Amino acid sequence: MAFVGQKLIKQIQTTGLKATVAQRLDDAFTRFTAGLSWNDVRGILRGDPPPKPNPRVKPHTEGFWFHIRPTFYHEAVTTLYPTFRLGLLSALFFTFEIITGIFLMIFYTPSPTYAYGNMIDILTNVPFGKFMRDLHRLGAEAMVIVVTLHMVRTFVTGSYKKPRQFTWFTGVVLLIVTLFLSFSGYLLPWDQLAFWAVTIGTSMADAVPLIGPELNLLLRGAPDIGAGGLLRFYLFHVVLFPLIGVIFVAVHYYKVVRFGISLPPEMEPVGEDNARKVPPEKRVPFLPDILTNELMYAGVAFAVLAVSAATWYSAPLEHHADPLVTPNHTVAPWYFYWLQGLLKIPHMIPFLPTSIAVEVDRFFANVFGITPKVFWGVIVGPLMFLLLFVLPYIDPNPSRRYGDRKIMLSLGALFAAVIIYLSLAGIPTGVPITGFGYVGGDPASEVGQAFIPDEGVGPVRRLPYSQYVVGSFPINADPNTGSAGLDSLIRDIHNDMEARKVRPDPLGRRLSAEATGTLEVKQIQENLRQVIITINYTDEAGNPTQFKKYTFLHAGSGYAVE
Amino acid sequence: MSIIKKIITFRPSFTLRILTGLVSILILLSVCTFIGLSDRTRLNVRAAQFESRAIEAGAKVYYDQCARCHGANGEGVEGLGPGLASEFFVGRIELVRDEMQQQSIRVVVPSERLKQIGWTGSLRDYIIAVTESGIPVKTSNVWDVNHPTFGERYGGPLRGDQIRDVASFIVNYGLNPLPNDQAILPPAPGEGQAARPTPVPLTPEQEAGKQVYLAQGCAACHAIRGVGAQGAIGPNMNRMGAVAAERIASDDYKSKIQGQPPATTPEEYIRQSILYPNAYIVPQCPQGPCQANLMPRNYAQVIPPQDLDNLVAYLASLK
Repeated sequence: MAFVGQKLIKQIQTTGLKATVAQRLDDAFTRFTAGLSWNDVRGILRGDPPPKPNPRVKPHTEGFWFHIRPTFYHEAVTTLYPTFRLGLLSALFFTFEIITGIFLMIFYTPSPTYAYGNMIDILTNVPFGKFMRDLHRLGAEAMVIVVTLHMVRTFVTGSYKKPRQFTWFTGVVLLIVTLFLSFSGYLLPWDQLAFWAVTIGTSMADAVPLIGPELNLLLRGAPDIGAGGLLRFYLFHVVLFPLIGVIFVAVHYYKVVRFGISLPPEMEPVGEDNARKVPPEKRVPFLPDILTNELMYAGVAFAVLAVSAATWYSAPLEHHADPLVTPNHTVAPWYFYWLQGLLKIPHMIPFLPTSIAVEVDRFFANVFGITPKVFWGVIVGPLMFLLLFVLPYIDPNPSRRYGDRKIMLSLGALFAAVIIYLSLAGIPTGVPITGFGYVGGDPASEVGQAFIPDEGVGPVRRLPYSQYVVGSFPINADPNTGSAGLDSLIRDIHNDMEARKVRPDPLGRRLSAEATGTLEVKQIQENLRQVIITINYTDEAGNPTQFKKYTFLHAGSGYAVE
Repeated sequence: MSIIKKIITFRPSFTLRILTGLVSILILLSVCTFIGLSDRTRLNVRAAQFESRAIEAGAKVYYDQCARCHGANGEGVEGLGPGLASEFFVGRIELVRDEMQQQSIRVVVPSERLKQIGWTGSLRDYIIAVTESGIPVKTSNVWDVNHPTFGERYGGPLRGDQIRDVASFIVNYGLNPLPNDQAILPPAPGEGQAARPTPVPLTPEQEAGKQVYLAQGCAACHAIRGVGAQGAIGPNMNRMGAVAAERIASDDYKSKIQGQPPATTPEEYIRQSILYPNAYIVPQCPQGPCQANLMPRNYAQVIPPQDLDNLVAYLASLK
């Protein structure tokens, strides 16, 4: 009578227990590696040359994960140049974000009532919560950088040219997916940073001609961002964009394998593509060389992220979102600074008189019936992406060699310079030296913002509670409060005020020369103090004016260590 | 150039790859182990930090929304709200921290108010409940108004997190509560009937002055109990006649008055305050120290002389 273990018993009887166990384990191992026995793997790890027939290509035909990878690379693309492994790193970070994201999803509810409380819970009540949040945020920032650099590299080496035009096209889709993934994640903590950055972002959708208000309503779920908007952004962030991402990564990577990784430009005859014609002696096998290389990159990348998150990096969490309070100097995420800069055009083009800038605005309004915000933000911004999409199809030059592409490379450098310039103009301080794009209130309120920022820590909150002395102190160069820390803070405020009296801001405004300030510290509760900065000055119209800004400081709030 | 070339054409050997990978994984694992071992303490430290920040945020809400009726120092305002900082209301608490840095509040003296009204939950819950949904009936007629609803879902201005923050702030008064004789205490429910002074009938001039007070918009900034004036920008006028008498006798007034001769009668003081508001700035307003230039300086042109006389007579009668 046959039963399940009959064969096993027979094998034990004929070869002995030890050999049977060894053979069965090796079987299981071979099934797991989709075709490599333990001895094959040992050979790989020892660096033995592959035996013939080569068992190391078996996983590529048998297993799913290896079948999507080529069996060998051209030797010329296994050095740092020309790929810098940026595509690999992009895929790694994408995976990394999914893993850390799933962890965070467990503790998150997409509702304005709970989201912010969930964030505080993650930071104060979930083991590894802060670590995972920092990793997720840091990974997202790194991913934006890596994906952008990947595109820059592909442009510089001319790898977008025939036959890889469509690979480039899907790459631009992935760049946009990356930006949108990052941006949609911005809203989820439901803090002030999130709320206002996304309010700015979606208000651009509102400005789209014809369908703007409807598009805005679709995105936000209501005229303003609220419960509906948060749920939508959550679903974009965890379902829609990752799904589009996975689909396009699949298409993108299929094309990469299909055409091979493009060789360094100087190795190919002009107009030809030799990536797939790899002579046998130039082949670097995937197993073990490429795989170990990739695992090394993964290990280093993740270790760098983990060490950063555990040491210097801390994902910001500002105050609870408040539609009624707009913090000063609200900005978009850094990778959209350029778009914010674009909205300030043409008032920040160097040497262009303001009168002409106003005329340009009027011209657009009269001829096209659109405001400059719509023109630059909603038409020119997306056009820049359109330019990226069609780049491989409109570039007439078949050569990938640097020497033959002087014009295109110069245009690329110019494009990068413009993006950097626009980004600088997009931040509130504007472009250094010239101050183009500067946005700021009157100088007294800027002193307040510098020392007690609406969001973030700032010098006043950073000075520990114990360093404050209750009392009212004039802000001057030689304070004598009895506390070294407070003296130094008052001196800093004094210096800042003096600097603003002498040096006008980019809009030509100075703090009036006779302006005086007071710093007052009040005891509110046993362990709670209020710090008030008061500045008396003369405004531009010549009226005596008082500016006042305060913050509360608790003995245990721990800003000093942040 | 050759260094750059060396770097970009660098191909790590098999051993180097394995070693680098292993070292990276070791670093990764040790970071995770380190965090796993120390996270409990750090979570507790952060929890205490966020509770501190909640108190800071609650203080802001308190000064924006609560101080006008409950007082800038939680001492209460007569006729408007009881002193929340009083030991009677908050009791007495202390903070304790265990060796894991976990912080908690220990009640040393429980709130008498909760006992009085029969609230069985915590003080914090009581504050949240009252702030959120208000008190629908007036528990005692010493108060001019019911406690309004502050919660967003009852039509008020505050979100749930703000209400929790302000509750943390008020509970924190318990570390060093005001002695009961320095605060306005709420009477037990149903009591306090006699606490309200019997109104003295107004003369026709004073009655006319009251109408001027309401017509000129004084009520928007200066509250007077019982006449529908609930402004909370400037000092209240509940006892203006008595206050004026105290004021003209005070050294602070005599030394700080500017541009006008010191008033010698309460009526003169009131008239001076209306016509020359900057002559003397009162130290305490409902929302912190009073500020110059806040009160219009054109009442001499706006209020006819007869009306002004009536207004002064009315305000002087409030004692």
